[in-house]
Amino acid sequence: MNLCLYSSQQEENIYIRKQARTWQHSGLITNEQLAAMYPFAGINLRQTNIFFRVIFFVFTCLCVSAVLGLFFWITKIRSEMVVSFTLIITGAIIYALAEYTVNRHHLYRYGIEEALAVSSVVLFCMGIYMGIVKLLDGRPADFDTLLCLLYTLTALWIYLRFGFLYAAFMSIVAICVIPFQQSMTPSGERLCLLILLCLILGFIVISDKPADEDFKKEKNAILQAFLLAAIYLTVNLQIITLPVSMLPAAGIFQNYPKSFPPYIYWASYVLTFILPVAGIYEGIKYRKRLILNLSLVMACVTMATNKIYLGWTRYAWDPAILGIMLVILSMSINKWLNSGENQSRYGFTAKDILKPESHGISLTEVAAALTPAATGLDVQQSPSEKGKYFDGGASGGGGTSRNF
Amino acid sequence: MFDEKKLNAQQFSTLRDIHSGKIFSVHRELRLFLYIGILLIIAGAGLTIKQYFANIGDVAIISTLTLCFIGAFSYCFIKGFSFSTEEVVSPNIAFDYILFFGCAFFSMDIAYIETQFHLLGNSWKSYLLISSALFLLLAYRFDNRLVLSMALSTLAAWFGFTLSEYRLSFEKYYREYAIIYGIVVLLLGHLFQRLDIKKHFFDIYLNFAVHFLCIALISGIFEYKIFSLYFPSLLLGCAALVFYSIKVRKFLYMLYAVIYGYIGISIVTVETILRKTFLMFTYFIVTSLLVIASILIISRKFREDE
Repeated sequence: MNLCLYSSQQEENIYIRKQARTWQHSGLITNEQLAAMYPFAGINLRQTNIFFRVIFFVFTCLCVSAVLGLFFWITKIRSEMVVSFTLIITGAIIYALAEYTVNRHHLYRYGIEEALAVSSVVLFCMGIYMGIVKLLDGRPADFDTLLCLLYTLTALWIYLRFGFLYAAFMSIVAICVIPFQQSMTPSGERLCLLILLCLILGFIVISDKPADEDFKKEKNAILQAFLLAAIYLTVNLQIITLPVSMLPAAGIFQNYPKSFPPYIYWASYVLTFILPVAGIYEGIKYRKRLILNLSLVMACVTMATNKIYLGWTRYAWDPAILGIMLVILSMSINKWLNSGENQSRYGFTAKDILKPESHGISLTEVAAALTPAATGLDVQQSPSEKGKYFDGGASGGGGTSRNF
Repeated sequence: MFDEKKLNAQQFSTLRDIHSGKIFSVHRELRLFLYIGILLIIAGAGLTIKQYFANIGDVAIISTLTLCFIGAFSYCFIKGFSFSTEEVVSPNIAFDYILFFGCAFFSMDIAYIETQFHLLGNSWKSYLLISSALFLLLAYRFDNRLVLSMALSTLAAWFGFTLSEYRLSFEKYYREYAIIYGIVVLLLGHLFQRLDIKKHFFDIYLNFAVHFLCIALISGIFEYKIFSLYFPSLLLGCAALVFYSIKVRKFLYMLYAVIYGYIGISIVTVETILRKTFLMFTYFIVTSLLVIASILIISRKFREDE
C-alpha cells in the first residue's frame, strides 16, 4: 500500500533528473542532452533549489508561530485543556494545509509544505500531551514516554505521506529516547536501544528489494546509513569521552563507561570493530556510497577510541599517527586503482567521474580557514595587551601567538 | 534517448556503467580521507609541540617544521603545472593537500619561532600579514582554494579577529575592523576578477566579505538601531547581493541577503513596536508572507535545478 502523496513514477523521474544533472555537471552529457532528457522524465511537480527551500521553510515556520501567538494573545486562552484542544485543532488545520499545497499546487520539497507538515507534528503532539497530562492530573515527566511515542508515530506518518527523510530520522530519534525514560541501568538502556535499532534496521534491510525503483533504493540506503550510525553510537561506549576529554567536566564522562559490566564493555569493544568492517563490506559489495563512507568514518573513530578502551596512555601525537595512516592508505589505494587496466580494478576507479555541484564555498574550505585555530596555538596575552585592537591571531592561517 | 540518437554509443555505455555500479568512482572518498588525514597530522603536530616543546627542544622543533614545509613547497614547485590565470587541474590527488600541509606547518613554525625568540617584539603580528601574503601568492600560483581560505582567515587574524576569545558583545572597534576587512576582501576579490585572474576564486572572497560585513552591520544596527549609517548600508548590501545572486544564478547569496536583511529590519522594527504585542505578531506574519511571496515570484523565473 502506497500512502505517499507522490506517485512512484514521479519520484523515480525526479531521481532520474537529479542523476542527469549530476552527469551534466560532470561533463558526461551536454546541456542540450540534459534538456532533451527532461521530457522523458516528466514529473508535473514544482521544485526549487535548496536555498529557496531553506528560505521558504524558515519563513513558513515563522509565520505559523506568529499566527498561533497572535491567536493566543487575542483570545487570551489560559485553560490548559483549551490550549491543548486549540493546539490539536491548529495542528490538524496546518496538516490539511500541507496536504492541500501538495495536492493543489504540486509542491515537492519546496520548504512550504515541509514547514507546515513539521509544524503540524509539533502542535498535534504537544496538544495531545498537554491534554492527557491535564486529564490524568499527573506530573508532565510521567508522560514523556507518551510524548516520544506520539512523535514517533506522527513523524512516521509524515515520512510515509510526504516522503521527508528527516521525518523518518525524527521518528527514529523519538523512539530511541524511550529506553532512557524507563529508569533502567545504563546497560539495560543501551541493550534496549540496540535491540530497537537493530529491529528497525532489519526491517528496512528486508524491505530493500533488488527490483525496487532507484529512488526507493536510495532512500533505503540513507535510512540504513543513519541506523548504522545510530547503532555505532550506541555500541561505542567510549565515544563520549573522545570529544569531551579536553573539557573541564571531562571527568564525569570518563567514568561513565566503567559503570558497565565487563562482558558488555568488551562486547562493545569487539562490536566497534565488527560494525565498520561489516559496513565497508556491504558498501563495497552493493556499491552503497553512503554506507561505505560512513563505515570508513566509523573505522577512524574506532581507531581513535581503541586506546581509551584498552586503558592505554594517550599521547598528543596520536592524531598525527592516525592522520599518517589515513594518508598512506588513501595514497596506496589511489596508486593501486590507477595502476589497473583503464585505471580501475573490480569496477572501482580513482578517476574523478562524478563532480559535485559547486555553490560557492565548500565545507572543506571553511575547515581550511579554521585549521590553524585547531592546532592549539592559543593566545595568552599579558593583561596590558588586553583590549588592544589587534589582540589575537589564533583564528588566522598564521596562527601566530606569543605563547604556546 | 540512445535509440533516438540523442546520446552516442560511448556516452550511453559510460552512463549505463555508472548507473549500474559497474564503474564506481572513489575519487571523492579518497580526497576526503586524504584531507582528514592531513588535518589530523596538523592537529597532532600542534598538540605535540604545545605539550612537549620543553622536552623536544627548539632546534629539533624548528628544524622539523622547517624541513616539512620546505619539502612540501618544493614538491609543489617541482610537480605543479605552470601558472595560468584560468582554473588549473591539480597534477595528482594529493597535490592540493600537500600545499595545504606546507602552509599549516609554515604557520606553526613561525608561531613557534616568535613565541620562543620574540624576534619582532611588539610588532609580532606582522607575521600574520606576511603569512597571509605568502598564502595568497601560493593559492594563486597553484590554484588552491583551501590555501586561499587560509590566507583570508589569516588576514582576518591580522585585523584582530580570533576564535580563542569568546565575546558576546561586538565592540565598536571590532565592528569597524570587520567592515574594513570585509571591504578589503571584497575589493581584492573584485580586482582579481576584473584582471581575469582566477575568476573562480571570487566566491570565496565574497563569502568571507559578506559574513564579516553583514555581522558587523547588524551589530551596529543592534546598538544604534535606525539612527546610523549601518541600517541603510545593510539594506543596500543585501539588495546588491540579491541582484548579484540573480545575475550569476547562485542562490546561496540570496539566502544570505534574505536572512541578514530580515534580521536587520526586524531589529529596527521590533524596537519601535516593542510593547505592542498585536503589532509584533502582525509584523512577523506580514513580513514572513511577504518574503515567501517575493521568493515565490523570483523562483518562478528559474528552473528547479538552478
